[in-house]
Amino acid sequence: MKARYARWLVRLYPRKWRNRYGEEFEALLQESSGGFRSFVNVLASALGEYAIPTMRPGVVMNQYPNSLLTLGKRPSAFLPMAMSIAALAIVLGSIAASPGVVVRNADEGAVAHIWQLLMAGQIPILAYFVIRWLPRVPRLTAYVFALQFTAALAAMAPVYFLGL
Amino acid sequence: MRSTRNVAKSDADDQLGHYSDPPLLVLASLASGPKHGHAMIEDIASLCGTRLGPGTLYGAIARLEQQGWIEPLPAEERRRPYRITRQGARVLHAKLTILRKFATVGIRRLGVA
Repeated sequence: MKARYARWLVRLYPRKWRNRYGEEFEALLQESSGGFRSFVNVLASALGEYAIPTMRPGVVMNQYPNSLLTLGKRPSAFLPMAMSIAALAIVLGSIAASPGVVVRNADEGAVAHIWQLLMAGQIPILAYFVIRWLPRVPRLTAYVFALQFTAALAAMAPVYFLGL
Repeated sequence: MRSTRNVAKSDADDQLGHYSDPPLLVLASLASGPKHGHAMIEDIASLCGTRLGPGTLYGAIARLEQQGWIEPLPAEERRRPYRITRQGARVLHAKLTILRKFATVGIRRLGVA
């Protein structure tokens, strides 16, 4: 079946259904021979999906993210990055508040403790993220993990280079 | 379960028709290992002569997934394979056991073997 025709047939389905099955269904349609029977079959099935939707509210489906943005919206994806950015902001804010002054006490102070909490606290979230998503969407997980790692490095950089 | 009225019949369809219970056929197909949509259609056709239409197949897949009887695996390019869950295997076993009893009694009543 031609790609354009397959895409058009997929559009007959409700948006929710398309978001979940659209891509794989379109691939299947392209592999199939097409013809009038297939058209009637898909049309009837699409109408049935409007009448008795599979994707009802509250029904939890095993839905895998299919883009970086979709995966990035998961709390376990963006929280570590947010924590790293917060840690970086705290360090930079502290430096900006007292430029040129590096105070080293036995007690590291509140800023250091918050920074440590933010950096250590994201480790279990990162572990969960990798365990949860790496077997399912390895490539996207690797991309997001690279972003998380970069954010963590950015948060650690001023501490390392300025010897804080 | 979804109605079976949307099953697209193959050209080789004879006057008796073929067995068509799409969810059961999908479960039976996945019992031999994970498959994507096209592989399921071909497997089911070789299994019992029924060629499921694409809409019927995905109607069955969606409902089976919702019931937790099958689950998706990571996509291979644009194709997504599915596999049967333990619960799905139990359901398939129970359904096939009933069908076997039904067939045995039916054949006995006909006085055949």
